[in-house]
Amino acid sequence: MLLRKDLLILKNNIWLILKNPLRLLPYGGMIAYFFFIYTMRVRRGAEEGRTGIENIDVEGLPQVDFGLQNVIGGITLLALAFLIFQLFRATKKNVSFFKMADVNLLFTAPVKPENILIYYMGRSIIPSLGGSIIFIIYGASQFADKIEFSFINIAFLVLGFALFFFLTSPIRFLVYTLHTKYGVMQYIQTGVIILAVLLGLAILIPGLMAEKFWQGMFAWIASPWFDLFPIVGWSRAMMSYIFNQNLITALAFFGLYLLAYYVILRLVLDTAGYYYEDVLEATKSNEEQVEKVRGKKETPESSMSLNTKKKLALPDFGVGAKALYWRNYVHASRQDFHPLFGLWSVILAALGIAFAILSNFDWFSHKVLNGYLLMLVGINFFAGIGRGSVGDLKKPYFFLIPASWSSKLWNVIKLDLVQLGLISWVLIIPSVLIAGLDWKLILFYPLCVFLVYIVGLTINMIPKVAFEEGWDQKLIKPLMIGGIFLFGIIPSLVVSVLIFVWTRQFVWMLFAFTIGQTFIAGVLVHVLLDVISRLELKEI
Amino acid sequence: MLTVSNLIKRYGKQNAVNDISFHLEGGEVVGLLGPNGAGKSTTMKCIVGLLRKTSGEILIGGHDHLSVEAKRFFSYIPETPYVYDLLTVREHLQFIAQAYGIKDWKNRGEELMEIYDLTDKADKLGRDLSKGMRQKISICCALLPDPQLLFFDEPMIGLDPKAIKNTKRIFKELKEAGKTILVSTHLIDSVETIADRIMILKNGDIIGNDTLSNLKQQFVQDKQGSLEDIFLELTKDE
Repeated sequence: MLLRKDLLILKNNIWLILKNPLRLLPYGGMIAYFFFIYTMRVRRGAEEGRTGIENIDVEGLPQVDFGLQNVIGGITLLALAFLIFQLFRATKKNVSFFKMADVNLLFTAPVKPENILIYYMGRSIIPSLGGSIIFIIYGASQFADKIEFSFINIAFLVLGFALFFFLTSPIRFLVYTLHTKYGVMQYIQTGVIILAVLLGLAILIPGLMAEKFWQGMFAWIASPWFDLFPIVGWSRAMMSYIFNQNLITALAFFGLYLLAYYVILRLVLDTAGYYYEDVLEATKSNEEQVEKVRGKKETPESSMSLNTKKKLALPDFGVGAKALYWRNYVHASRQDFHPLFGLWSVILAALGIAFAILSNFDWFSHKVLNGYLLMLVGINFFAGIGRGSVGDLKKPYFFLIPASWSSKLWNVIKLDLVQLGLISWVLIIPSVLIAGLDWKLILFYPLCVFLVYIVGLTINMIPKVAFEEGWDQKLIKPLMIGGIFLFGIIPSLVVSVLIFVWTRQFVWMLFAFTIGQTFIAGVLVHVLLDVISRLELKEI
Repeated sequence: MLTVSNLIKRYGKQNAVNDISFHLEGGEVVGLLGPNGAGKSTTMKCIVGLLRKTSGEILIGGHDHLSVEAKRFFSYIPETPYVYDLLTVREHLQFIAQAYGIKDWKNRGEELMEIYDLTDKADKLGRDLSKGMRQKISICCALLPDPQLLFFDEPMIGLDPKAIKNTKRIFKELKEAGKTILVSTHLIDSVETIADRIMILKNGDIIGNDTLSNLKQQFVQDKQGSLEDIFLELTKDE
């Protein structure tokens, strides 16, 4: 019955696509892009001869290849962080394989709960497989000149990737069922924390033992014996087949996965019992999350607020649009421990200063600190994009308050700019002094952060405001954003990289990028102020 | 007080509001009725500036409806109550008081909170309130600036019986105070007793716009017929 239901859903989806094949256009574009990159890489690979990673004779190298070790270690670390995060989430929130329609129609039907669970647990591999196939197609197109893509190579890549994501859901479900039956959440939580600490030590200890920290930090987790580490190591071992062509090992790790899945399934069935009530809350919140993503439901502004109990007695800030700044100030006072410089600001600034100290003691090169500063610039670009979609612009008050559009917009973003200015200076001044960076960064860095925030904000808002809802917006929006990137952001990036190559100075690179962003932000703000009176409230 | 001329709102090729014109005199209370999807909310949102009109002209107090001067004239109570998650009930009123430059708002604010049973929840955050409570805040925020013109879009949805009764009473008081009100609603009886005029919308067109007694004369044989009978007669499918 469940299979038939899924087949009907599949049929209806295909029917919807056939009714409106234009929906396939973006996907067609993606496939064309992958194909183009793939053929380009294969041609280049054939011309240059394959000089891929498989040709590197690790045994024959006189020294450890730190570059390769750090690449493997870095990827392994990301996978480990994901696994720990998933395990930790399992101790906070239950996982659900169901939809609310299942809860309302299926849970009340005369069907054995175990059968429903077995079906849905098995079926959850389909999205993992689909996701990993798309990822591998993308990855394959990028590495087509380095790696040979035979059927068996692709199969192990896809399986290694898919099983990693697939198995995390049953494990999370098992954690919850174990808790509901035996009340062991506290022990599991402690176990996850201990595991995280041990993994942290597995990076710290070899790092400290090595001549330079970065040379040793991944010595353990990048080593072959780490393949035995459950899930992360197993997937890595399976995917390594493309390099070592060791079928027995790859199959053995695949077998380990099958065994682990069987054990988890048996344990889940034994401990889940009459699980309907347990998954109800998770199913509901999953559904709400999907609706928020689709824009059918309002995203709460108060998520992650740290200080909601705070009693406030703020005086008025002024009349008209200043009420919006007051509103943001009150909101920020409850969101964090200080409205202008909160916990996140402290953490981000402390991390930067820590990198500055470490680079001063030669643990890291200045590149890490510079990279971190650039990463924060990137984060602020996305923060700007995000600002256009939340908060005041989603409430009618922004439209109804009797004040000019420019003053309303200014008051909506004013607090962000104050916060950005503060964190930028708190981060950059000590970093410059400790790491001995160029003092001009104290001027350029905050300016650059401001500007990318403004560019992000305007990039998101202009298409929303300027174009009618529907196909024209869907088609013109990517075109416009593409245009801004192609003729604005990318050229300024290229110029700044060229200047870096020429001067070998991070400060001049940032200066060039800042100048570029000034022009882009200037033009975009001008356009936004021109069109903002056309802004509409998007009803949820 | 409000003049709408040739208002059109189009979504793609579909006209949600189809070239409508009407006028509200100062002190008039007008009920806007219509079946689901008739264009009531869209009309109201175009008037208050939440949606872009495709074409037409809207004047509020003689000013273009999007101008700052026009916005000082009116308040709007939306169908979906929007509140800020991390603002308390009282802070919502302080926010509105600043936005509209109301100096002595505290007494009026307390009075409104009293009417809508919000006094004991004055320090509760918006996120912790039920939909009905949010609707009450929405109404309090709209009444606080004491505007000349009020737009109510389905104001009774989600309210408890006591709040519905109080809102009807407030309608009456606002009318007596000479305020102009446009109310869109499904609850026909809520406007039957206070509306000077009824406008009935169907498929984006105004199909009836007159006093209740005139509408009865035109569309109902039985003189005892109610507004509900007129509504059903006008909106029935051909």
